[in-house]
Amino acid sequence: MINYHPTDKQLRQFAEGNISSALALVVASHCDVCVQCQTKVDEVNSELASNIENIKAHTVTDPAFEKMLASITQLPVLDTPVQKSPCIELDGRFFDVPRPLQRFVKKTGNWSKLLGKVWQAPVDLGDSSMAHFIFMEKGGRVPEHTHRGTEFTLVVNGEFSDGLADYDSGDLIVMDDEHIHSPHSNADEGCLVFSIVDKPLQFTSGIARLLNPFSHLFFK
Amino acid sequence: MLVGISLENKFTNTSKPKDCAEEMSALLMEVAAERCKRSYAKVFGYFAPRLRSYALKQMGNEALAMELVQDTMTNVWQKAHLFNAEKGSPSTWIFTIARNIRFDMLRKLQNRKEDICSDDLWPVLCEQTPDQNEVSLDQQVTLQQVGQLFNNLPDKQKAVIEAIYIDGKSQQEVADQLAIPLGTVKSRTRLALQRLKDMLEDHD
Repeated sequence: MINYHPTDKQLRQFAEGNISSALALVVASHCDVCVQCQTKVDEVNSELASNIENIKAHTVTDPAFEKMLASITQLPVLDTPVQKSPCIELDGRFFDVPRPLQRFVKKTGNWSKLLGKVWQAPVDLGDSSMAHFIFMEKGGRVPEHTHRGTEFTLVVNGEFSDGLADYDSGDLIVMDDEHIHSPHSNADEGCLVFSIVDKPLQFTSGIARLLNPFSHLFFK
Repeated sequence: MLVGISLENKFTNTSKPKDCAEEMSALLMEVAAERCKRSYAKVFGYFAPRLRSYALKQMGNEALAMELVQDTMTNVWQKAHLFNAEKGSPSTWIFTIARNIRFDMLRKLQNRKEDICSDDLWPVLCEQTPDQNEVSLDQQVTLQQVGQLFNNLPDKQKAVIEAIYIDGKSQQEVADQLAIPLGTVKSRTRLALQRLKDMLEDHD
């Protein structure tokens, strides 16, 4: 069951188009699997859309619009055949991902092993953010860390805990330098998450501290 | 060619929103079913200027605003068959398309953030290494491997790295503890990290 949702403010800002594209991606993905939040966004959408309708538009005489109209209507129709939704594959297992993430499936690189039972695949979002699918096998654990910047995590499939709370598929988690946590999964099926950070992690305990000088290389 | 298709805007100030929504829904369905350019021109005439006003306010730039209008209205033309009047009004559908395109544009526009400053990554080396090109070691390194490599360091370097990175001591505290000059702590740290980095690079 989904317990961790975006705030109402984040949902509104998402609808308005006023949040970072990284947060927008995870909020949109969350809404794809959360009817409750999607309904809230729909309400804001129709409110904002009626604002647009109320704009007193000038009578169109702008030649730029004439040109635009002409060029658009020359374009072919896009038939969108029903395609099989792209899945994330790891070791013969296939995971469905929320629709907003589907177009990034083919921009996802190879899996690499980070630690004992934690795997990571980089995702090229086309900007400078550092995005990954991360899979924790049962018993897999990311060393305790805090964040130099902000970390957005969407649980795609499975369950994990991090010492602060327990999370389930669809949960959206926002962490920053006020949070120290150590994500691990005890679920038999493991846990697949999608994660975006804007700065490398900062490991906070034990030998994992040794990773800090190199953390930009793996836990990005 | 497009002879005979004119931009029509007669709905602008006369129709009530609800009537307008029905009118626009009907037009979109004609576009979907028959590729009707006349119907599309009416939809375009109604929404394009409004989208431009909205986009100008949001993006503050005429060229970007027009790009948003063009991309949005292109989607409306090419994907009119995806409009579903039961799910919402035409304006909500078109607004949502515009908003999503805006996020795509933001993503593309976002200046590539400066390469992460090496000072952040190599805090103890900030005085000594102005080299900004600390990148692209092998991505496949694991914690265990770093631990093994760490064990290959000379004892003196290992002691310094352990105190700083594992125990979290400052360089000065390490100097006091080991009764060696601060400069020696710094140079041992630098040499050790350089050595680890070299070992990581050779580690394929």
